[in-house]
Amino acid sequence: MIYRLVLRNLRLYFRDRASVFFSLLGVFVMIGLYALFLGNMWVEGYGSALERIGLGEYSATMRFLIDSWIIAGVTAAASITTTMGAFGTMVDDQARHIDKDFKVSPIKRWQLVLGYILSSVIIGWMMSVFTLILGEGYILVYGGQLLSLLGWLKVLGIITLSVFASSALIFLLIAFIKSPNAFGTASTLMGTLIGFFMGVYVAIGNLPPAVQWVVKCFPIAHTGVLLRKVMVGEAAQTVFGTPDVIGAQFLKVFDEEMGVTFNFGSYTVPVWLHLLILVLTALVFFALTTIIISRRKAKD
Amino acid sequence: MNPFWNGRQNMEKIIEVHGLKKNYGSVQAVKGIDFYVEAGKLFAFLGPNGAGKSTTINIVCTLLTKDAGTIIVDGHEVDKDDGKIREEIGIVFQESVLDPLLTVRENLQTRGSFYPMEKNTLEAAIESAMRTTDILNIANRRFGTLSGGQRRRADIARALVNHPKILFLDEPTTGLDPQTRKNVWKTIEGLQKEHGMTVFLTTHYMEEAAMADYVVVIDDGLIAAKGTPAELKEKYSTDSLQIKPIDADAVRNLLKTNGIAFREASDLLIVDIGRTVDALPILRLLEGNIGSLQVLNGTMDDAFIGITGKEIRE
Repeated sequence: MIYRLVLRNLRLYFRDRASVFFSLLGVFVMIGLYALFLGNMWVEGYGSALERIGLGEYSATMRFLIDSWIIAGVTAAASITTTMGAFGTMVDDQARHIDKDFKVSPIKRWQLVLGYILSSVIIGWMMSVFTLILGEGYILVYGGQLLSLLGWLKVLGIITLSVFASSALIFLLIAFIKSPNAFGTASTLMGTLIGFFMGVYVAIGNLPPAVQWVVKCFPIAHTGVLLRKVMVGEAAQTVFGTPDVIGAQFLKVFDEEMGVTFNFGSYTVPVWLHLLILVLTALVFFALTTIIISRRKAKD
Repeated sequence: MNPFWNGRQNMEKIIEVHGLKKNYGSVQAVKGIDFYVEAGKLFAFLGPNGAGKSTTINIVCTLLTKDAGTIIVDGHEVDKDDGKIREEIGIVFQESVLDPLLTVRENLQTRGSFYPMEKNTLEAAIESAMRTTDILNIANRRFGTLSGGQRRRADIARALVNHPKILFLDEPTTGLDPQTRKNVWKTIEGLQKEHGMTVFLTTHYMEEAAMADYVVVIDDGLIAAKGTPAELKEKYSTDSLQIKPIDADAVRNLLKTNGIAFREASDLLIVDIGRTVDALPILRLLEGNIGSLQVLNGTMDDAFIGITGKEIRE
């Protein structure tokens, strides 16, 4: 029953080419902006910083590090925007009154909701992985290297966790949206804000402290941190090998400024806590959703 | 006892509605109606737009809540046993509810999966629903690319996918061209006559209501009349005699002096008569002064106007 429903939602999503394109538009915009000017700015900025501290020999390979950083951020952003895009089907079903047909069928409401959520998770996952593959291609083209097998596994795991958390978060948001117009506006808003929340347009370290706090409290921002830890970590390994004291110091500053680590004062958030935040986000928001759904009237 | 029940007690009532009321805010859409539907019959709900037809059908098929009244559908009470009712009914909504981007078969597979059926049973049910509605040839076309008539057939196939005992159709032929409307209507009649399905439909087409087994006319949230089409015509419409006179003034005088009421429409003089044979004495009276004549039976349109005092609003 749910299998058929999920299959339906997937078909509706992927057969609507325009909506697939638009849910990836945010990704294209971010990579485009980066390729055109943001990238060079970072690469040159950090390149000259390396030269100032006498590590000029690394500045040539700095691009791999920065490219890995941006692709991690874009993939994290995609795990939210594409998951959100997948919920378009649900909004349409309400707007076009297709849900009437569901309501007069013996299917239970929780089955219907589970169908939407599972489809959004599957779609979000597929599109995020697609973004990642695209991004790895980009890294490769600009002289970087592909992730290791272990790196891929870690990244896929993080993406999986992230789309579950995003799905939970967004379902709650969508529960109050009835019209496709409102949904479109919310999607656009999300697509724009996400670049900032993920620290893609502006590195987190460059934001005012108060704003940094807000970003760090945004649950899905932790996806960005985790992906960067893996991807930027591997790139740093390749570029610096085992860094000396100055190199290590440089990476520490880089990590903090670029959102590879989140610090609260002198406390650095460990990996397990990032993971826990994502798991809790998924659990709490799914629980809230369940409460809201069960409180809704069965009929109008 | 309501005279409505007399003589029809032996029939199996598959739907019974008592004292149904529904408000939307301060607007009373349905103001307390009673009716029942006999198993295996074609039951038509006739009324102008906004009369409360859709509201009533939506409440009976468990989509909307009611504010008062009780409804029994095939032995199950609405609001208490909705799940059971939903398994036994099929509904064709006014607007299509299938997915334009899926093929007809994919649509039926999705919606069919909502019912407790084995996979093989479901596949067989889908084939049979498509055969009944004559859409096997478009099974693999996307719903969004179909013509209006094909869509309506697919909508009906959707409603048949769970082998319902009762088929609800809310204005099934509205918006279709006359030829397609006829075809769709034939399909619906076939379901009732050949498959013994109970059909409950709303319409604002008189000619469709005239083909039903039983008609309930609803107006302004209340039942204005009910009966078989013949009963309604008998009770609420009159036959008329239309005469095109040779000498209009002479005919007028003759009618007036004999105390026969008449009205005029362009060059016709029209006399309302109880039965068609009542025309004979009038014709004898006017003999020699009649250019041409026509005796017309009352129609459902006349009955409807007689009942509601208004022409049907499209």
